Amino acid sequence: MAKYCGGDARAFHQLYLVVAPRLLGYLVKLARDRSAADDLLQLTFMKVHRARSAYIVGADPLPWIYSIAHRSFIDHARKMQRAAKTFVHTSQHVQPDPDIPGEADGESGDNDQAMLTSTLDALAQLPRVQREAIVLIKLEGKTVSEAAEIAGTTVGAMRVRAHRGYVALRVALEHGPPTEDLEERAP
Amino acid sequence: MSDSDTDSLGALRSLPVPQVRPMSDALERELAMLAPVATRRPTRQLVIVASISLIYACGLVAVLSVRRDVAELPPVWFVSSTILRLLGFLTLCYLALTPRRGTMVHRWKPAAVLVIAVAITFVAFGLLFHPSGPSSLYYGWPRFYRGHHCIEIALAVSALPVGLCIVFLRGAVPVKARWILAAAGAAAGCLGGIVLSFYCRVADGLHVGLIHGGVIAVSATLTALLGHRAG
Repeated sequence: MAKYCGGDARAFHQLYLVVAPRLLGYLVKLARDRSAADDLLQLTFMKVHRARSAYIVGADPLPWIYSIAHRSFIDHARKMQRAAKTFVHTSQHVQPDPDIPGEADGESGDNDQAMLTSTLDALAQLPRVQREAIVLIKLEGKTVSEAAEIAGTTVGAMRVRAHRGYVALRVALEHGPPTEDLEERAP
Repeated sequence: MSDSDTDSLGALRSLPVPQVRPMSDALERELAMLAPVATRRPTRQLVIVASISLIYACGLVAVLSVRRDVAELPPVWFVSSTILRLLGFLTLCYLALTPRRGTMVHRWKPAAVLVIAVAITFVAFGLLFHPSGPSSLYYGWPRFYRGHHCIEIALAVSALPVGLCIVFLRGAVPVKARWILAAAGAAAGCLGGIVLSFYCRVADGLHVGLIHGGVIAVSATLTALLGHRAG
């Protein structure tokens, strides 16, 4: 990051190679839409590039980059809500996306594949804040405090969101998708 | 969570990393014009904001002239209120500008707590302690509205530190930026309060508490609302 701020474009390419796959995985799990996740990834790196002078030499830039991606996702989600589009798809509405792992072969009959698909569907059913908590802590392997830093919330609130998310996920996996739309319920 | 839930999440976690598509043309174009930039130095920025703002505040006090009743007020009150506001200014500036060591994420939680605490403290402090002398003025409720003059002066004092903070924080705070900006605004409000305590000789509790103390809340709110758009 320091080399990149010093004007070395190759350093940016290296940063992109290292960070982009992790960030894309995070965004795909959050947005559940490969093309939106791709756009958000590009937007995130554009914002990182434009704000590169905010980098502090010696500091870990990853939580900051994740925060930018998180902010971009929230803005995107709000834009979609304003456009009156259904952001959280029910399994009936989702068309299998060959680019999202676990979706392409959803009807193959394979048990693991079916479990993946149902878990992804259940995850997509969760309110945004709970989905963020589970993706960050359980899937991205962040600690609760790291996840709270990225999402801009307190450690306690992040813990509550993750717990409620687990409970909702368990219910969804045991009983199938709920019939009513889940509201955004920030603790 | 049950074993099956853990298995499900484990399966999700072990999914292959999605293939990243090449960088967009817009990003490539920006990279083609890549130039070296100076990276952020929060401590240096803090020193710049604090020193320039204090010089500016001192200059304003000199231009506006010191209140006529200054010699009639208890020195203990005068010194303690100035030191408290100065401490508030420096602490809030520190929280607004410097992230925790080794990270780039700002401490918005302590900043938020301190903004609220400082705003309430100075209103209460002004309502409770407002010494006066023979040359002091009293507005009370009937002429309370005339306090807008003091708010304007305090906001003029605040403009410089707030502007500097917004410039220094541009792009640095992706989440909870409003609380960080509120901290910068409250810090500037503390400085505005110092200038007012040197300049304004209105000494009734309502004016000192709600106007001289309230400028912190006003400055913090305006900075959080307007600075967010600017930054």
